[in-house]
Amino acid sequence: MKILVAVKRVVDYNVKVRAKADGSGVETANVKMSMNPFDEIAIEEAVRLQEAGKAKEIVAVSLGVAACQDTIRTALAMGADRGILVETDAELQPLAVAKLLKAVVEKEQPDLLILGKQAIDDDANQTGQMLAALLGWSQGTFASKVEIGAGEINVTREVDGGLETVAVKLPAVITTDLRLNEPRFVKLPNIMKAKKKPLAVLKPDELGVDVAPRLVTLKVQEPPKRQAGIKVDTVAILVDKLRNEAHVI
Amino acid sequence: MPVCSSEPVPARPNANGLKTMPHSNEPAVLLDGIRAFIDPAHVRIDPDSGLNYGRDWTRLYTPNPLAVVLPGSVDQAQQLVRYANDHRLALVPSGGRTGLSGAAVACQGEIVVSLERMNQILEFDPVDRSVTCQAGVVTEAVQNFARDHGLYYPVDFASRGSSQIGGNIATNAGGIKVIRYGLTRNWITGLKVITGRGDLLELNRGLIKNASGYDLRHLFIGSEGTLGLIVEATLQLTRPLREPVVMVLGVPDLDSLMSLYHVFRNKLELSAFEFFSETALRYVLKKGLHRPFDVATPYYVLIEFDNLEQLHTDTALALFEQCAEQGWLADGVISQSESQAKELWRLREDISESIAEYQPYKNDLAVRISRAPAFLAEADALLTREYPDFEVLWYGHIGDGNLHINILKPAELDPAAFITKCGAVSEHLFGVLQQYGGSISAEHGVGLTKKPYLNYTRNETEISYLRAIKQVFDPNGVMNPGKIFDSHNDA
Ligand SMILES: Cc1cc2nc3c(=O)[nH]c(=O)nc-3n(C[C@H](O)[C@H](O)[C@H](O)COP(=O)(O)OP(=O)(O)OC[C@H]3O[C@@H](n4cnc5c(N)ncnc54)[C@H](O)[C@@H]3O)c2cc1C
Ligand SMILES: Cc1cc2nc3c(=O)[nH]c(=O)nc-3n(C[C@H](O)[C@H](O)[C@H](O)COP(=O)(O)OP(=O)(O)OC[C@H]3O[C@@H](n4cnc5c(N)ncnc54)[C@H](O)[C@@H]3O)c2cc1C
Repeated sequence: MKILVAVKRVVDYNVKVRAKADGSGVETANVKMSMNPFDEIAIEEAVRLQEAGKAKEIVAVSLGVAACQDTIRTALAMGADRGILVETDAELQPLAVAKLLKAVVEKEQPDLLILGKQAIDDDANQTGQMLAALLGWSQGTFASKVEIGAGEINVTREVDGGLETVAVKLPAVITTDLRLNEPRFVKLPNIMKAKKKPLAVLKPDELGVDVAPRLVTLKVQEPPKRQAGIKVDTVAILVDKLRNEAHVI
Repeated sequence: MPVCSSEPVPARPNANGLKTMPHSNEPAVLLDGIRAFIDPAHVRIDPDSGLNYGRDWTRLYTPNPLAVVLPGSVDQAQQLVRYANDHRLALVPSGGRTGLSGAAVACQGEIVVSLERMNQILEFDPVDRSVTCQAGVVTEAVQNFARDHGLYYPVDFASRGSSQIGGNIATNAGGIKVIRYGLTRNWITGLKVITGRGDLLELNRGLIKNASGYDLRHLFIGSEGTLGLIVEATLQLTRPLREPVVMVLGVPDLDSLMSLYHVFRNKLELSAFEFFSETALRYVLKKGLHRPFDVATPYYVLIEFDNLEQLHTDTALALFEQCAEQGWLADGVISQSESQAKELWRLREDISESIAEYQPYKNDLAVRISRAPAFLAEADALLTREYPDFEVLWYGHIGDGNLHINILKPAELDPAAFITKCGAVSEHLFGVLQQYGGSISAEHGVGLTKKPYLNYTRNETEISYLRAIKQVFDPNGVMNPGKIFDSHNDA
């Protein structure tokens, strides 16, 4: 089985993001960028499948600016076999990403696609679903467990109030949830090896995809500042405040 | 449980003999006197407060304070010290009570003076890159304040969320970034203190340069509450690291560890060089963390450097290869994101918490870095030979020559017997340490736990100077009596 994994370069989870002064987006200059945590989980799952002898080849794909190569190198160091960067400076929205990935899938012919359920920058939670629809493939989203059977995959999903297991036919799209696995740390020797693994660069034009944005961002602003808390002296005062000021009881 | 010490302290109103004291020395009357200038709500005598505020992170002493007083201003703090002089009361300054030497313990009827309410950040100056705050501000609050202003307060360690700036100064706290940024002492440009005599002194006032006589500020840094109360401090801030990258390497032996130190430090600007043993690692794994890589090695080092440009990561990789060829390391991982950097840090930082339930006997030793492996080897051999039944964990800030030794209490051993046995271990260990010219306390202070051993590091003549200094600032011995050394002035 051949697995294709999408990896996105995003503002590091630990960075306190700030809105740009002109409200056009989030400040990304001089900000630490890392792999989207859900995509780390996706790579980890693919590598585990390979280690278990269920997958032959893992291809890591990233879309965006040239620096996304760093993200791909991390994926390679974690265990992916080769990388593909679809390089563009354009703003990429989920539909464009899904179309680009579809084009890559048509070239690469993988059996399984693993993506994060969302990227922590835009929190769109759309790409995997759109891609499955465009390809006409089955989908297992929010996976917390993946079991490979014959021609079929059992995907356990975290839903409200419990777990749901769906059997999806290959080829399929899986999107990862937080509890699917705990990604490994990257070993130093593997970084060395990753440098020697192949990394191809493509352009959206070569793939025949129009990536022009369909949505316009009107404004990005910081959430209102939280009011400082207060200490109350007695339970009675607390109850009174909850009832008459906060109106929660 | 051991008592604080056998020596007498100035007027212990609730100690034995209470009834024979003059009327005005009755505890209730004395506390009423304090309530005249501090809101009675902040003069506490309930048992819960006594238990909480009467001890630090150590669990070796039974707290027994007369009261817990929380002054709300410099003025109230000063009145309190003056009052203590008038009535010969003993005061124990209290910060976040995360200290590890029993220095903030009140177990002989002292009054605990908690700075908790004095927790305001007073002034920030971007040109000076300085922040002035009250002593009760929590360390992490200063760190966050600096970060919000694009700056960095680099004194950092696992108890950051509870310890206070005043406590950090009183212990000259070190921590995990000392190799690059030094100890608390390096970051203090001004102090407002109330001396044991009750005088308010403003020391150095935020100046970088000030060649006008003895620098008293430095006497208060590391004084463990024995010279006076620290009420305000001006701290220097610096630029934050751009992109800290963390590596954890598996190391076969101590000599290799030193070789790594040498090689990595020569080529990279390190901001941390920490180590821990496999035995220590096992305890954090029990708490749910994962091995950094599958091979187990006797020791691990955690190295942090600032990845100012890609070049530095490349250097680190090249050094890794070079050291692997030499056999100095068996395996290693490197963080790919800040989250991973934090996760790797937990392998080192969570050790202390993860062993707390085994009531460890802690030693915090310092030797010159170059001598650390030889000392460690000798000490380890000694412990294995003399105390085969004890499990001993090693970890620490080895890049600063600072080793934490933790002996875990065997479940079946009674705590008091354990402490007695560990005392004997210490004597042995300190004998070796003395040969290496080391210190019995690297950064945790002397307090009560290391008081019996002070003479292994400072000789009698030197200690007589310490006493003389104490006498100048605190002639009546009201400030934290019986800590660091026994006081003689009250006999
Ligand atoms: C998990 C853990 C990890 C730690 N790691 C480190 C580390 O890496 N490096 C390190 O150096 N320490 C470390 N410590 C020890 C401790 O956190 C530090 O010594 C810290 O600086 C103590 O601050 P505190 O506010 O808790 O002081 P406290 O424990 O309250 O008091 C310590 C001493 O300072 C005095 N004091 C407190 N406030 C004042 C004041 N305003 N004026 C005068 N005297 C005062 C007290 O009387 C006492 O003598 C660690 C502790 C824990 C629990
Ligand atoms: C051209 C010029 C430029 C200068 N620039 C600077 C500058 O940029 N920064 C700066 O800080 N200073 C500067 N200075 C001042 C001076 O050079 C420094 O203060 C220097 O440290 C003095 O050292 P010294 O050996 O000449 O001491 P001396 O002048 O001999 O003595 C200075 C003091 O130290 C005491 N002392 C000397 N040796 C000992 C000892 N072994 N034990 C105990 N006490 C001792 C003396 O009793 C005296 O109190 C400058 C001076 C000149 C002439």
